[in-house]
Amino acid sequence: MNTQQMIVEFVTWFVLVYFILLNGGYLLLNLLSIVSLHRKGQERILDDLPQAYSGLEPPISLLVPAFNEEATIAASVRSMLQLAYSELEIIVINDGSKDRTLDVLKEEFELVPFPEAYRVRLATRPVNGIFRSTRYPNLRVIDKVNGGKADSLNAGINASRYPLFCGVDADSILQRDSLQRVVKPFLNDATVVATGGTVRVANGCEVSGGFLTRVGLPSNIWALFQVVEYLRAFLFGRLGWSAVNGMLIISGAFGLFRKEVVIEAGGYRPKTIGEDMELVVRMHRLLRSRRQPYRIEFVPDPVCWTEAPEDRKTLRNQRIRWQRGLSESLAANWGLVFNRNGGTPGWLAFPFMVLFEWLGPLVELGGYIFMAIAFFSGLISWQAFAVFLFVAIGLGILLSASGLLLEEMSFHIYPEPRHLAMLALVVVLENFGYRQINSWWRLVGLYRWATEGEASWGAMTRKGNWQRKV
Amino acid sequence: MGALALTLLLGAQIVYLRMSLRRHERLEKAVIATWRPLLMAAVADAPPADLPALPSRERIPFLRLWLHLHQSVRGEASAGLNTVGLRLECDAIARGLLRDGNRAERLLAVLVSGHLRDASAWPELMRLARSADSAVAMQAFWALVQVDAEQAMKEMMPVVLRREDWAMSQVAGILQDAREVCASYLSDALMQLEPEHLLRALHVAEALRVAVPAGLLAALLHHEDAEMAAAALRLTHDPALLPDARVHLAHPDWRVRVQAAKAVGRIGDRSDIERLRAMLGDREWWVRYRAAQALAGLPFLPPGEAEALVSTVDDRFAADMLRHVLAEREAR
Repeated sequence: MNTQQMIVEFVTWFVLVYFILLNGGYLLLNLLSIVSLHRKGQERILDDLPQAYSGLEPPISLLVPAFNEEATIAASVRSMLQLAYSELEIIVINDGSKDRTLDVLKEEFELVPFPEAYRVRLATRPVNGIFRSTRYPNLRVIDKVNGGKADSLNAGINASRYPLFCGVDADSILQRDSLQRVVKPFLNDATVVATGGTVRVANGCEVSGGFLTRVGLPSNIWALFQVVEYLRAFLFGRLGWSAVNGMLIISGAFGLFRKEVVIEAGGYRPKTIGEDMELVVRMHRLLRSRRQPYRIEFVPDPVCWTEAPEDRKTLRNQRIRWQRGLSESLAANWGLVFNRNGGTPGWLAFPFMVLFEWLGPLVELGGYIFMAIAFFSGLISWQAFAVFLFVAIGLGILLSASGLLLEEMSFHIYPEPRHLAMLALVVVLENFGYRQINSWWRLVGLYRWATEGEASWGAMTRKGNWQRKV
Repeated sequence: MGALALTLLLGAQIVYLRMSLRRHERLEKAVIATWRPLLMAAVADAPPADLPALPSRERIPFLRLWLHLHQSVRGEASAGLNTVGLRLECDAIARGLLRDGNRAERLLAVLVSGHLRDASAWPELMRLARSADSAVAMQAFWALVQVDAEQAMKEMMPVVLRREDWAMSQVAGILQDAREVCASYLSDALMQLEPEHLLRALHVAEALRVAVPAGLLAALLHHEDAEMAAAALRLTHDPALLPDARVHLAHPDWRVRVQAAKAVGRIGDRSDIERLRAMLGDREWWVRYRAAQALAGLPFLPPGEAEALVSTVDDRFAADMLRHVLAEREAR
């Protein structure tokens, strides 16, 4: 065997083993999720019955960072004011918006300046003023100099009164009982420091009064692909890791945190794109190094709906941002892997993220290109190429299908048979092009993270079709 | 081929699940159509004289419907539902499920037995209430309280104080139904409790607004554990304990100072104005906040005096906090 053949053989095996490990790892997470969902399904009777408050639930501060959200902020805040929870305060943080966000809030909620004894526990950009609604005593607005989403959340934490805070995107659509659901792990276990809920794609759904009233599927193909992607990411990506206390991501769109632990960890890191993931990884690092018992849990119930990008350009930018965020989060927290007490998050979840999410696009795209060239130039046999297609695409379809199975086992969000048929079709289709394009965008994100400096609030083109139904 | 076969298998499973879901939904609809009017009649007035038979396949959806209505009503309406439940022998059905059902069915049966106050289910409920399964155990405890609150307190209170996995908010909700019995148990038991259970017992007492004997509180107020002292301060409503509460205004732990400020605000006298004013300069925000609230809320403070205090404090942080609290009060 000459050197060229040896190299080809080595790379072929490397690519095959990589894809097998990648899909095998996710299938294992899938099994963990099945166990969790089965157990949760047995307790559904308790969730279905009318809920009563004892008044002893821990109060929650809802933090809503807003930057140039004049079109949607009033409707969003109005829906948040209707959330079902015993004690709740809402703090909107206007992060130096250039549009009329603050004016809209002042008009809609009759804000008046409030002489707040503002406590700086986390350093932020200067606060210009704090307002309080005369109509809703539990609504306050912080007006501050622009500093990004992380900086805004830190300002919100400074002003918050309650032991738990929930960071919410201003454009998120929440279920009315979302807080009740994500707070449950905190009630049952004093060591819980954070919980995250499932985020679903709102495109194609109907929204009324700020709440989702009818679930539907989008007609746009990009959004459809993302429906299946979100199912996969949340129902077995996060739920599987949560089962072994190794969850490294809580979506910035909706996550509940124990405030004191976040402050001890230093709060959100300003000037990062992936501030949500970075904080969670840092919390793991802090608590692991202290050897403090803790849990970070995932609540599989669909609690939050978000509008997914419907055009290629916006989606591409979003994925580039996400990959940069992931890179920042991992690069800033290598200490977790080398911690003597790293446990599941440090020794399993973090390396998994590095290998399959961070470096994934590089190996995946490299693998596709190498195998295609090697096959067409006769360097590898058709059998080897067929095995590659099986592990790369066949197992990919299997994974997506298992995401759909988990959804059908648990929540049956999409009620009509045609929804199911459409999702089944998308499960297959997304493996022929969409996932590969995604890998390319993620590779661009990786490159930009390595070569460029800081990024800022991502501008996303939103169609807001559901808003018309309000 | 393997992946294809597995994917097809998953597909078949998904289709099967969807068909089975539809079957359940149809059955549930049929049960609701038949039984909801009858149960509503039992809630509103008296149960109908003739009730249709309850086929075994309809038992689970019927019990779910029955429970759903039960959770939404109280008093006589609840008694009407129980009459229907007993006539349909739901107590026996539930006992069967407690014994032989899967976890979901056991949970359902626990809830049914509790609402029916089925004393025959006591041994099985007791076994489940002591099980490691947090959700089932807590619901079984609730059922026991519904069946016989006094006996449940006697047998289960040590478990309640031990089980940290039972959320205090839910425990308090359950014990609200047996507040008197619980208060009597706590007043007898608090003195003898081990320190590791005492703190949780104090939290239960606070949640149920149970008065704790002043003698015990006085001892606890001087407990070396800050958490215990803070819990005792939260329960301090007796002016006789004012001197003990005042001592804690200078406690090294800020959580105790916070509770001390609140307690002094509740039971203090005019001489405490100066003490609370001094606390407005505390290094901890929460202490300043609670002290300002306590000051502004003193019942004997004449109108305008709290506002006047703002100009008398030299510390900027203290003045800011007073302004903050006064603005809050004005907004209410």
